[in-house]
Amino acid sequence: MIKKGKKVVALFTTFLLSASLMAGCTGGDNTTKNSVDEGTSNGASANGDSLEPITFTFFGEDPISNWNDMNDEVSKEITARTGVTLDAEFAVGDPAAKIAMMAASGQYPDIISAKGDINKLVDAGAVIDLTDLINEHAPNIKKVMGDYMNRAKYSLEDPAIYALPTYSAIDEVKFNAGGGSQLQHRVVKEAGYPEIRTVEDYERVIKEYLEKHPTDENGNKNIGVSLLADDWRIFITVTNNAMYHTGKPEDGEFKIDQETYEATYHYRDPAEKEYFRWLNHINAEGLLDPESFTQKYDEYKAKIASGRVLGLIDQDWQIGEAINSLSASGQFDKTYGYYPVTLSKDIKHPYFWPTGFMGGYGIAISSTAKDPVRIIKFLDFLASEEGQILTNWGIEGKHYVVENGKRVVPKEVQDRINSDSNAFYKESGLGNYWNIGVHYGDGVKDSTGNYFTKNNPDMEDTSNNTAEKETLAAYKIKNWKDLFPKEDEFKEKAYGAGWNISTPADSKATIIGKKMQDITWKRIPQIITAKPDQFDQLWDDYMKEIEASGVEEMEKEFTKYVQGRVELWGSGGK
Amino acid sequence: MENVTPDEKAPVPAKSRGLWHKIVQQRYLLLMSMPFVAWAFVFSYLPLWGWTMAFQNYRPARGFFEQEWVGFEHFKSLFEDPTFYLVMRNTLAMSFMGLIAGFTVPILFAIIVNEVRHMALKRFVQTVSYLPHFVSWVVVAGIVTKMLSSEGAVNDLLLSLNLIDQPIQFMAQGSWFWYIVTASDIWKEMGWNAIIYLAAMAGIGPELYEAARVDGASRVRQAWHITLPGIRTTIIILLIMSIGHLISIGFEKQFLLGNPLVSDYSQVLDLYALNYGLGMGRFSFGTAINMLNSAVSIVLLLLANGMFKRMSKESIF
Repeated sequence: MIKKGKKVVALFTTFLLSASLMAGCTGGDNTTKNSVDEGTSNGASANGDSLEPITFTFFGEDPISNWNDMNDEVSKEITARTGVTLDAEFAVGDPAAKIAMMAASGQYPDIISAKGDINKLVDAGAVIDLTDLINEHAPNIKKVMGDYMNRAKYSLEDPAIYALPTYSAIDEVKFNAGGGSQLQHRVVKEAGYPEIRTVEDYERVIKEYLEKHPTDENGNKNIGVSLLADDWRIFITVTNNAMYHTGKPEDGEFKIDQETYEATYHYRDPAEKEYFRWLNHINAEGLLDPESFTQKYDEYKAKIASGRVLGLIDQDWQIGEAINSLSASGQFDKTYGYYPVTLSKDIKHPYFWPTGFMGGYGIAISSTAKDPVRIIKFLDFLASEEGQILTNWGIEGKHYVVENGKRVVPKEVQDRINSDSNAFYKESGLGNYWNIGVHYGDGVKDSTGNYFTKNNPDMEDTSNNTAEKETLAAYKIKNWKDLFPKEDEFKEKAYGAGWNISTPADSKATIIGKKMQDITWKRIPQIITAKPDQFDQLWDDYMKEIEASGVEEMEKEFTKYVQGRVELWGSGGK
Repeated sequence: MENVTPDEKAPVPAKSRGLWHKIVQQRYLLLMSMPFVAWAFVFSYLPLWGWTMAFQNYRPARGFFEQEWVGFEHFKSLFEDPTFYLVMRNTLAMSFMGLIAGFTVPILFAIIVNEVRHMALKRFVQTVSYLPHFVSWVVVAGIVTKMLSSEGAVNDLLLSLNLIDQPIQFMAQGSWFWYIVTASDIWKEMGWNAIIYLAAMAGIGPELYEAARVDGASRVRQAWHITLPGIRTTIIILLIMSIGHLISIGFEKQFLLGNPLVSDYSQVLDLYALNYGLGMGRFSFGTAINMLNSAVSIVLLLLANGMFKRMSKESIF
């Protein structure tokens, strides 16, 4: 028996070895095939707008949750118009590591959306300057970008356009609020719709609701506030909120002086200590979910979808999926309203602080791309009026109809969006290309006088969320934006946003920044979950630790980059 | 292998002819081993060229001769970083705990399974126990965190037994993290690791047991005096090999089970190399960490090998 076993093991090993050898061979085959493709398609695209089918590989740092391998209706239409199919891959886990691997290996996909990690690719010479391509082949991109072309430039020293700025919408006026602090509609209803403006208001309604209803109607425990600290998501639900609650615009990890553009590590602002003290306080009161710092993103979403979490301090894009599933099951009273909660009444919630149009994050074409001209033409199609209408509204006659010169979403389509949105978006592909193409923002009109996006002031209230309507009516507002301070109350930032300034890999700002991040990610949860009488001591320890680790050096270095950005953008643009 | 008897050596007339003669004699064996030597060379030795990166400020776009050479700069910054010592401590602590538990529990389990006389039951127990090995760490980590969450099975049990009056936040206690990792590792790998011992036990001659029974040895005595010495060689070889892997324990477990509250205990060397090296695009720094890792592994392996050679005459080389 033993002998036979050995034979099996030997056979298995041989099989594995040969399989790995074979895998190596197939890899080789692929590359040769690619280079053949390159030859033929180059020839074809030279004579104008070729529709010959071509597949480009694409890597995106942000997963597009409804991506359907271009089998959705909008993607099929795009392929029909441009001949282009994207073979997309999205980051799983840490996107930065994936981009670094890519840079080191020299094997790049044709199109890369690298967000803040574009610097690694630029250092490696992995992405090409798009300036000439845009000038020669992309009239629509030029038209949409207009005077903002300067803002797409990489840096003062290297004024090339590596990333087509697709993460920022041009001339956007936001029509709804998706940030601030969230409360379930059942909670504010129970409290009789009081004003929710400060952390005390927020805390009080949750506390009172929990005292009256420790469990929901099925006997499951209600949870006061749940936070999430799963990797970078700690920024979104924990640390960025310290900036929002103290009235600072979100600038990554920095507080940036709007006059001198000097950067300070934002935790060093004494006002923020009070925000974390408040979190520490609600934790001691038992209002904070004890699993806040141990749960992972999927557990957090599942918890929200179960309807037990009364309050959140998050952004709509992070909780959207969970809320969709609450709506789909008709539990509207457990969906959320968005409130401009800050530490005190004299602080303005900076959610609508305008950044202006921002370059930085966007789509890059790799140096090994098969046919850059076809790619830029494909991206130009997405930026064209028909391209933007297609990706935002869908296909005429199917996803929208034109009545009296106005684009309208038919009732049966809207019903589907309300009741079964995840499946609808997967089938239709609407919204998938938002961050792939250069686009206008909400509130911009096309040549027919219709808005480019569905979020617009003409939009009829098509949602069937009865609880939300009830809450809005009780507060006498049209939508959540009405609760927040408006754009015109702030001065537009000259540098875009701090989070979108990327620093070179070997810069002090990057290396010390990583260290700071480790210290902060460890310390902040400890501070929040500590006993209140230890809070001051722990906070002092934290401040001492970051000072000892070179926080001031990092601030000085980052200030240079902010000032550089102001100079670069200031030389043109609006 | 080295114990070649003198009379076998005697007929060899000249050394060089003897070697050539041997090559010709074993030509088929040598030919057959060629692909494997080539494989090992290509996949294990050729990549060592990349170690040169540790002494450069490596930039992907530049050619080898255009790189900027910085000597031991990266090693210096590594040794100056307090985090490095912290991750080293965590790595060694968790791997030693894993080593101790990973050797005692599967052996104990193998002995118990070996004593089961009912064949069908034995097979069943064995199959069930090694199934978790095939479950990925992602799933295992999910199960563990769910079980240990404040509304999880463990807290429910403790609450219903009135042992505690507040749910315990198991995953939030830094000092418990090492034990949780070790315990989940045992759950996952115990049955799988026991297989090799069971196979070794099957090779022990039944006459030894018969003789022991005749002498009136109990089953515990038999296990102690026959089964354990019978698998000693296997145990020692596996032990030496795992000591070589002490500091390269991977990072899936720690990465998936960890959270910011326990990061002082969950950061391990591989994760450090990933976060501070590759993750930041500092290829040279990452290489320096891994070079150090390899060096320490070789030293540990040689130490363990030498120690066991002296103690028990068993060694792998």
